[in-house]
Amino acid sequence: MGLLSAMVKKDLKVLFRDKVTVFFTFGFPLLFAAFFGAIFSSGGGNSGMSVAVTDLDLTTESAAFIQRMDDSSSLQVAAMPENEAREATRKGKKVAYIILPKGFGPAYASLFSGGSPSLIVGVDPSRKAEAAMLEGVLMKMGVERFQNAFSDTDSLLSMLDDTILSVESNDQMPAEWRSLLGEYLPQIKDLTAAENQSQKDAEESGNDVSTGTGIADAMTPLKLDFEDVMISREGPKNGYAVTIPQAMYWAILGVVMGFSVALVQEKTMGTMTRLVAAPISRMQILGGKALGCFFALFLVMTVLFIFARFVFEVPIDYPLKVLLALLSVSIGFVGIMMFIAAVGKTQRGISSLGWGIMMIFAMFGGAMIPLFAMPDWMKSLSDFSPAKWAILSFEGATWRNFSYPELLLPCGIMLVLGVACFLAGSRLIKLEN
Amino acid sequence: MIRLDAVSKRFGDLLAVNALTLNIREGEIFGLLGPNGAGKSTIISMISGQQQLTSGTLQVGGFQPDSKASKRLIGVAPQAIAVYEDLSAIDNLEFFGSLYSMRRAELKQRCTEMLEFVGLTDRARERVEKYSGGMKRRLNLAITLIHDPQVLLLDEPTVGVDPQSRNSLFDNILALKKRGKTILYTTHHMEEAERLCDRVGILDQGSLLALDTVENLIDEHGGASHLSATTATGVVDRDTHQPVVDLQEILSKHTGIRDLKLQRPELEKVFLNLTGRQLRD
Repeated sequence: MGLLSAMVKKDLKVLFRDKVTVFFTFGFPLLFAAFFGAIFSSGGGNSGMSVAVTDLDLTTESAAFIQRMDDSSSLQVAAMPENEAREATRKGKKVAYIILPKGFGPAYASLFSGGSPSLIVGVDPSRKAEAAMLEGVLMKMGVERFQNAFSDTDSLLSMLDDTILSVESNDQMPAEWRSLLGEYLPQIKDLTAAENQSQKDAEESGNDVSTGTGIADAMTPLKLDFEDVMISREGPKNGYAVTIPQAMYWAILGVVMGFSVALVQEKTMGTMTRLVAAPISRMQILGGKALGCFFALFLVMTVLFIFARFVFEVPIDYPLKVLLALLSVSIGFVGIMMFIAAVGKTQRGISSLGWGIMMIFAMFGGAMIPLFAMPDWMKSLSDFSPAKWAILSFEGATWRNFSYPELLLPCGIMLVLGVACFLAGSRLIKLEN
Repeated sequence: MIRLDAVSKRFGDLLAVNALTLNIREGEIFGLLGPNGAGKSTIISMISGQQQLTSGTLQVGGFQPDSKASKRLIGVAPQAIAVYEDLSAIDNLEFFGSLYSMRRAELKQRCTEMLEFVGLTDRARERVEKYSGGMKRRLNLAITLIHDPQVLLLDEPTVGVDPQSRNSLFDNILALKKRGKTILYTTHHMEEAERLCDRVGILDQGSLLALDTVENLIDEHGGASHLSATTATGVVDRDTHQPVVDLQEILSKHTGIRDLKLQRPELEKVFLNLTGRQLRD
């Protein structure tokens, strides 16, 4: 144990005395998290958001509305049952869920009476930018029902007929309102029919009303009831919670490259000769290296979590889950470090191959582009990137609030990957010159 | 102390060491003299247990070379300066000492002694990257000695060292011999072998061509001495195996001798005679 601790101590000293390495393991990830965290927290934009849609109304109008969402270039719509939609959003597979509740269709069809059509929208609170964009897209679609109505005289007349009938049969409407509308709506209908009211006037009437209750409420294009997806949990509520796990990957990259290069440098510098000539086994040498890398990874990620908690105010409510994620991700990348050192063989080989591999992992794993913004084919590829599972482990342990069984998947993948890569790497690596 | 019996080492098609038989005695400085690529470093790698033998047997102090007992006996100074330049001298010494399971107090004392031995006490806490080449070489030797090994394998320890540091290293090595250490010293500098080594093995292309004391090697393989006499009538030059006889003859034939020079052959000549090539070819 004394031997291993000596090797760990030495490797950490060597690593952290290199100012460039220290910057890329601490400074750069913090800058990354701060910069992108600030952007995501204060707003921003994205196109082609992937949303889950649940139609509980099952009317012609609800189906038509879903079709319009599907036709929008701003949304990628996936229809699914309510529970699945909520779960998919909670796990981050979808940016939001949109539920069309019962009564949506009649409210949507009725222009001047009843309530405005409601949607239940669930968005993660840390995704303010996407939530704002989604609201805009949906409100635009809501306004379109007025445009459609007033741009088509026949449709308007039919809608007025329906509304007049609805007013006459609505017992809950105050008498004065019913009387007023009973006089007013037929006049409108007559006027429309007689004078072929222009589309422009109709649109102006529709745009003038946006909020309110009662009759005014009926003129609201669409009523959106936003739900916090995280409402039942105590997770973080800001953009840094999303960017800190991404930043962690950059810290991991710095440590992994530092150690894999250092392992090969031991050979070129001749210090490996001393290690091999000493009365210690090959596995002790490799184990010492692995342990040094493990502690370095664990240390930098812990420091980043501390920054996340106390500087960026990211709540960390489940320390045990965070610990599990830290351990599994550290083990995973220790194995990857060993494998890169074995395959790269030379310092130049590692610099090119190692960086190449780690950057591809970053690109497809969500460390550069958030997973939700990726096209589908790229999302499929992300499953092969350890960066994705590392980030998901951190997110699952923090703001996604994965249960332990849920956390087992990303953490398990990191553990298995780490052990497999370590075994393969330690078999392939040549310590002797 | 170190016994090699018909040891061969092959790397693919290359026969790096060819049936080498050698017995290095306890307390001697044994020089392996040969050009680059002769197989010197490979022999050190095999003795220190870093490389497996292709064939033959090898023992260090009666132990197999890859055994822990053998590794505890040996201190290796690789040809490259094998130190961590980001660390201080004391950090390097403490780390490498810890590989030999030394107790903390013992390790601290050895560090102090070794720093003093190689003259680096004043710079012990500076990063090694700030050291001169000679200082790094001295630290390289100090690390080799940190666990007080009985056998020292010094692989071209003076490469890239200025004359002053080289003399300091020579003094260190001779002091170690006085302490009873067995030293295997590889070099392609004949003057180093002549100055330091009790016995020298001449190696070329993996084969041991000759092995003896420097004197005996020169006597046996060095060829004739060169005698030069400046007389009143001119200079008399001749190569001779019997310099005293030839000198008497010159004195009897010439008067007014103004200068006499007798030059014995050196190891360079031995190598030339054995291989037909200069040592640095």
